[in-house]
Amino acid sequence: MCVTVVGAMFPMGTFAEERTSLKVGFDAEYPPYGYMDENGEYTGFDLELAKAVCELRGWELVKVPINWDSKDMELASGSIDCIWNGFTINGREDDYTWSVPYVDNSQVIVVSKKSGIEKLEDLAGKIVGVQAASAALQVLQDEEQQKDLADTFATLQEFSDYNSAFVELQAGSLDAIAMDIGVANYQIKTRDKGDQFVILEESLNSEQYGIGFKLGNTELCDQVNESLEELVEDGTFAELAEKYELTDMVCLTSDEAE
Amino acid sequence: MYYLEINHLRKSFGDLHVLNDISLTLEQGKVLAIIGPSGSGKSTLLRCATYLEQMDGGDLAYLGKKAVTMDEKGNSIYAKPAQLKEIQKNFGLVFQNFNLFPHFSVIKNVTNPLIKVQKKSKEEAYAIARGLLKKMGLEDKEDYYPYQLSGGQQQRVSIARALALNPKVLFFDEPTSALDPELTGEILKVIRELAAEHMTMVIVTHEMSFAKNVADHIIFMDQGVVADQGTPEELFASENPRMREFLGKFA
Amino acid sequence: MKLEMMISQMTAGMVKTIGIFAWTLIFSLPFGLLIAFGRMSKNKILSTIVKVYISIMRGTPLMLQLMVVFYGPYYLLGLNIGGSWRFIAIIIGFTLNYGAYFAEIFRSGIESMPVGQYEASKLLGYSSRQTFFLVILPQVIKRILPAVTNEIITLVKDTSLAFALAYMEMFTIAKQIAAANTTFLPFIIAAAFYYIFNLLVAMVMEMIEKKLSYYH
Repeated sequence: MCVTVVGAMFPMGTFAEERTSLKVGFDAEYPPYGYMDENGEYTGFDLELAKAVCELRGWELVKVPINWDSKDMELASGSIDCIWNGFTINGREDDYTWSVPYVDNSQVIVVSKKSGIEKLEDLAGKIVGVQAASAALQVLQDEEQQKDLADTFATLQEFSDYNSAFVELQAGSLDAIAMDIGVANYQIKTRDKGDQFVILEESLNSEQYGIGFKLGNTELCDQVNESLEELVEDGTFAELAEKYELTDMVCLTSDEAE
Repeated sequence: MYYLEINHLRKSFGDLHVLNDISLTLEQGKVLAIIGPSGSGKSTLLRCATYLEQMDGGDLAYLGKKAVTMDEKGNSIYAKPAQLKEIQKNFGLVFQNFNLFPHFSVIKNVTNPLIKVQKKSKEEAYAIARGLLKKMGLEDKEDYYPYQLSGGQQQRVSIARALALNPKVLFFDEPTSALDPELTGEILKVIRELAAEHMTMVIVTHEMSFAKNVADHIIFMDQGVVADQGTPEELFASENPRMREFLGKFA
Repeated sequence: MKLEMMISQMTAGMVKTIGIFAWTLIFSLPFGLLIAFGRMSKNKILSTIVKVYISIMRGTPLMLQLMVVFYGPYYLLGLNIGGSWRFIAIIIGFTLNYGAYFAEIFRSGIESMPVGQYEASKLLGYSSRQTFFLVILPQVIKRILPAVTNEIITLVKDTSLAFALAYMEMFTIAKQIAAANTTFLPFIIAAAFYYIFNLLVAMVMEMIEKKLSYYH
């Protein structure tokens, strides 16, 4: 009985012949890619991009805020169709069906100006914060990337959201935070007294953002790629990048000359 | 026809034989007192007679209707639940600890079983209850809650509650044991009045002089058997050594 | 974001928080009573199953239970989930968990009732159903009220665990506003919301307690 009830309540969207909606999973605590705006609406570079794709396709955009730790379960179980939220491809290449990369990102270190930390090697013996289940954490745990550096830290402290991490940095219980450059820029720009923080010039890595679909869902992925291309051609993509001050970082351009 | 008849009642708790081959009869309008030392089984006898304990052997009947019968080995066989329930209407029990319902007012303690069990109308139930409370001298206490009453008053409410259901036989399980000595008198007075009205009663009691002047027949129990019995005059003049020893403690 | 906007967003979240709270109470109290009966059952198999159930519910984190309920249909039955299932799963998860706690409270209350109340009811001819609902339960409710109040106040605070399933209750929204505006202010507002709500809960429970204090 349980099967029929649940089945009836939740039609199998993924297998529907004609898609009418796109359920986009995002972390609503991840500005500027996905967050709650002044009016209490979910917005951000990624969500506006998703909206543009949906408009082209005639789909209804369903914004599904997710708990980032549970993103794989949400995707696997079909409660979302894709993860579209500053989602780093590198290190996860084989776990999802990926769209074309659309943002060149790098993982960076943010420190307080007063801390005297200027280079990555200054982090030895320091307490460094990193978001749980984030790309930055993956970089610091990967032996082929920055694990050697992470081993020099006193502690690699995982936290759940950037807001409290910055308060800890301000309060001195963290010496540095490892994070995406886009998010770092947003925090420094919008935080009260944000100018007391600085991003180290040396970055941990460079990587790319893509849209993650359930492994094997190439049909949907292709459709979204196609629409993205259209948005790049008609300039919408560049407009959005400018609006969110990400022009330096986006990596899809219409002249293909890059 | 006996109002109450028990034959060859046996009861054990595990290896402990509490009652052994107890037989008794009670006629309409008579008062039976059961006396004996603590642990003699008198309360258990009363609890067996009121279904609170399960009999191992022997039978039990009210007004000729068999609640429990015996097989050829003398083991008890209970009647069907519906029949037991029907027969149960014949008797009531007044507990040592009153067991009033603390969340019901005095009058509700009396009326609730009338309304819920006997399906009487509210008006009729209240009329019956008020009459009984008046008889118990509690007419001004009907809106009180049990905790606001003295022990003697509570016990009188519980007697009214039992009487309301109009039982043929009323059992009292040491009705004054939980009371302060100065309060026992008022309860004994009520029971005496009931006896004068020819209420059929079985009273387990420690009050020797009370048993002597209210009972038509007294059973003396000791170590799970009926050690001696008779009219009050016979029993209090008995030569039975255990009876004499027991009476000696009250002398 | 302006303060009024913050408060209005969080008020919308508070409605959802209260939704979790109210539905959980409505379902978990009767469910808890049922579980208590199972726990006290003379049927050894039933009482053992219920005992294990209670032990699991009390011995594992509520957050984990919520995730099992929400994702279970997919992982165990291969069903696609989403839509309103998120909220239903939260209510089921909370009810299963709180039902177990309430069951133990009910059990302690029922077992503390003097046997004389049952015996008097039996002698007066009450059926066992009448005995329970007319005589035993009203007294049990009075006895367990302080323990239930504790549990209910904990429930108010536990609603924030719905964030694990990304349900937009008040605290999840507070975190989102805090992230977007890089401020701690929403958390202070959240604390006020919880505190005021619990103050109301405590007041209501006190009223009920007073109402039941007409007897000892």
